[in-house]
Amino acid sequence: FVSVSCCPSKMACQGLQKGETLASLKKESESLKKKLEEERGKLNDVELHQVAEKVEAVAALSLKTRRVLKGHGNKVLCMDWCKDKRRLVSSSQDGKVIVWDAFTLNKEHGVTLPCTWVMACAYAPSGCAVACGGLDNKCSVVPLSLDRNENLAAKKKSVAMHTNYLSGCSFTNSDMQLLTSSGDGTCALWDVESGQLLQSFHGHTADVLSLDLAPSETGNTFVSGGSDMKANVWDMRSGQNIQSFESHESDINCVKYYPSGDAFASASDDATCRFYDLRADREVAVYQKDSIIFGASTVDFSLSGRLLFAGYNDYTINVWDVLKGTRVSILFGHENRISRVRVSPDGAALCSASWDSSLRIWA
Amino acid sequence: MSGKMCSGSNSIIQAQKLVDQLQIEAGMERFKISLTAADLVQYCQEHRRSDPLLTGISASSNPFKDKKTCVLL
Repeated sequence: FVSVSCCPSKMACQGLQKGETLASLKKESESLKKKLEEERGKLNDVELHQVAEKVEAVAALSLKTRRVLKGHGNKVLCMDWCKDKRRLVSSSQDGKVIVWDAFTLNKEHGVTLPCTWVMACAYAPSGCAVACGGLDNKCSVVPLSLDRNENLAAKKKSVAMHTNYLSGCSFTNSDMQLLTSSGDGTCALWDVESGQLLQSFHGHTADVLSLDLAPSETGNTFVSGGSDMKANVWDMRSGQNIQSFESHESDINCVKYYPSGDAFASASDDATCRFYDLRADREVAVYQKDSIIFGASTVDFSLSGRLLFAGYNDYTINVWDVLKGTRVSILFGHENRISRVRVSPDGAALCSASWDSSLRIWA
Repeated sequence: MSGKMCSGSNSIIQAQKLVDQLQIEAGMERFKISLTAADLVQYCQEHRRSDPLLTGISASSNPFKDKKTCVLL
């Protein structure tokens, strides 16, 4: 590999000791920003779609709605698959969290939270619990009981406390830790058992709207996106913001890692989805069309990373060829905004959640 | 924060934090897109056969697709 790095100025360190003024610090940050842009620019020797020129085009997809999950009384805001590839959890504006068997359409569990707008929900890796939260500024963990008659709400345990709404949550690789993102501008890592805050992540200058954990092989990092139009990559142990990307022109609603962990995609109110290469430290593709004018709210990759499913506020799901940058399919069916799309753990199906109160399974 | 410090020190602390953050980012090792993109393409190609949504799988192996029904004679 040919690598390019730049040496930071020594002046900034010495300056602090001499009582650096605001003006000279601002000058320093401006020149560092310029240097970063230059360094990133030097690596821009080719476009992703050029490298992918010789790759076979994607064959026509025949994706159809195979299931419609009806049961929520209002907008479905979030969903997550269970590792068993058949169950999923969904949460709604009406305060309800439902666990479904997507094969049979059976509703296996239901919990009603005291707050409305349950914006985030996640299935625990063990399949034995779900996490959820929203306007209550909390993230709670609900153990799933085998006894259908048991009142799940009574066993609900508050784990995370933020000072504004909960926008996203994810268990780490075990049921023991929970990562959250919030309208209060921070992300945080919590111990589920004790409710203790293990690490907090500061750096966004507005609401954080989404987070995604790096695939376990790539180590302890996660990416977040927010209303400040930035996508930040964080070291989970130190709390350090290690990389930052600012190319979107509006709120970033969703971020998702590419399956290898070397890149991630984002969906934004600016009607584009973008693809960022972490080792080149820059955006390498923009998925957009003149005809797409509504914001993108959610993205997820197919198992190989070749397809990017993106849900939009115009009620459609566009399927993009990640490498060539072209759109390969549009999925119609929902009757309101798409809030979330997620590919099943075995890659056999796509689930979409919508403000039309339903979820759909596509395969 | 000591009451003796002037109100300007808060913005200085913010500015210093920004400089520190940018220095961390500036110190990162980066690689050319021609190389990193080749790896992204390679990952897709290596995993394309095990991507059901990409290649399409038969109704008999996909639990969500309806199988043809049997008729008892």
